[in-house]
Amino acid sequence: MTAGQLSRPVVLAALGVSALAPVGLLLVASVGRDWFFPALWPPTVSLESWQDAFRGGGRMAAALGTSLVLAVTTGLASAAVGWPIGRAMADLRGWPRHFGAAAAFLPVAAPPVAVATGLHLSALIAGVAGTLGGVFLSHLVPAVGYAALYFLGIFTLFDRRIEDEARTLGAPPRTVLWRVTLPMLRRQVGEAFLLGFLVSWAQVATTLVIGGGRVRTLPLEVFAYLQAGQDRYAAAGALLLAIPALLMLGVVRFAVERAEATPL
Amino acid sequence: MTAPALVLEDLAVRFGDAPGLRSISLSVSPGERLVLLGASGAGKTTLLRAVAGLAPLQGGRIIIGGRDVTALPAERRDAVYLHQTPLLFPHLSVFENVAFPLRIRGLAEPNLRATVAELLESVRLDGLAGRRPHTLSGGQKHRAALARAMAARPAVLLLDEPLAALDPSLRDEVRGVLLSLQAHYLPALVIVTHDLEDAAVLGERIGILLGGTLAQLDPPERLFQRPASLAVARFLGIPNLVTGSMAEGHFVSVLGRIPLQDGPTAGPVTAAFGSDALYPAPTGFLRGIVRDVRHGPRGATLRVEIGGLELEATAPVGGMPRLGEELSLALETPRVTVLPGAGDV
Repeated sequence: MTAGQLSRPVVLAALGVSALAPVGLLLVASVGRDWFFPALWPPTVSLESWQDAFRGGGRMAAALGTSLVLAVTTGLASAAVGWPIGRAMADLRGWPRHFGAAAAFLPVAAPPVAVATGLHLSALIAGVAGTLGGVFLSHLVPAVGYAALYFLGIFTLFDRRIEDEARTLGAPPRTVLWRVTLPMLRRQVGEAFLLGFLVSWAQVATTLVIGGGRVRTLPLEVFAYLQAGQDRYAAAGALLLAIPALLMLGVVRFAVERAEATPL
Repeated sequence: MTAPALVLEDLAVRFGDAPGLRSISLSVSPGERLVLLGASGAGKTTLLRAVAGLAPLQGGRIIIGGRDVTALPAERRDAVYLHQTPLLFPHLSVFENVAFPLRIRGLAEPNLRATVAELLESVRLDGLAGRRPHTLSGGQKHRAALARAMAARPAVLLLDEPLAALDPSLRDEVRGVLLSLQAHYLPALVIVTHDLEDAAVLGERIGILLGGTLAQLDPPERLFQRPASLAVARFLGIPNLVTGSMAEGHFVSVLGRIPLQDGPTAGPVTAAFGSDALYPAPTGFLRGIVRDVRHGPRGATLRVEIGGLELEATAPVGGMPRLGEELSLALETPRVTVLPGAGDV
């Protein structure tokens, strides 16, 4: 057995442990009471934090609901807006394309606090500061940036000749979109939705600045629990925050396997 | 009298930074097969796309089925465009691919099913209706794409290099299906290719795109026997181009004085002829030395030196001459085209 063959299981095991250990630790922390250093295990176990998470009217349940509403709408809207922007950028050549890509990348690359501060003024002028709608719009800005860049890559590789052929077969542009392009790119649209969902799901700075404390999302609650030293609640909230990321991993894995089985 | 399936009037198209095509005028009858032949980069595909409504025109008119479609979008032109590689919709089954144009037209389900079944049977894909395109072989994909195109019942079917990049057996298969579908559904076919053999096999008429214009449009037998210009002769790869001059009805060159009636009566000219016009014959008036023997799929040709020129001749059916052997050769003068201008051998 070569050194490479020997090291492979070790590397895989290390990766597995590094991925699962934090999740396991959070799980224990979410049910452990009075768990302080240097104890290796909590002295008592309680499901109180999880009960609160799923109890109607509870802080965490409300924040979870708000986060879900924001993330789903942001995911849908960013995919819908990012598609035409990405497609239009893919049609450009030379500096206009670079400029477009840079513009889409700006809210992604800039520090979230800087983006939030810039958006805050706009939100105040538009009268949406402190509202769910305002927070949704502020989440949309980076999410559309991600989605536009994602679709730029998709449409750079997409063979438009198949749309041309559909046109000459008698399909008007709208029919081509609904019966050819969208069904062909449904996986990519799903991924763009998930991307937008996750961008919104993880937003802290923009939610805090634009929401002004009146719009409470799950990341804000986790942050608040941490500041208050309520580690069990923070751990439960953190696990809830991690679930979409884990789902995303599963979806991407499934999509890749399907893509390999069904090439476009 | 039936209206032409396609009329192009003084068409001008640009492609990229190239000067593009200009003054393209032609007419195609229903059920006719027209091949447009041109070198790579001659603008063949752009012309086809412009006719389909997929590329802008600089000028001219396009009439399909007696209707001026110049300003109409691609979906309303009654002209289906097929790319070189079959572009089936990957998310649809073979059945739904063929049904696509029929569903757009709102055909009732029973009629739709019957039409698709008939088309799939005609391209021998009736057992594969439920399959996805990625599971089909190359030939099956081509047949499915042709069936889908015919489902739209277009007045004109535009084919971009339909046989290119296919191995010989697949070429025969696709060509056979194409011709049988055309014979049944009778669309006019406009095919662009850079391949002389494809053009000769598929075209009832062949148009040569050279220097941005339609240099010649003729049936293949006339095109290959009577190229309209030296440029066309060169493009067609006519192997023997002999420079000389015309005087008193004779072509005067290193080959001697040969009586030729057609073409210019005086001045510098070039005699163009294929290898089939020159062949070893005991009574031939030309004497040449065999310099090379080339074997190809359609027989052998000789490279023969005559008066300092190396010409291509058909090899005899019987015993092959040796290299360096001196031969008598006959030249069939009716198969020689005299073109104005001096060309190189």
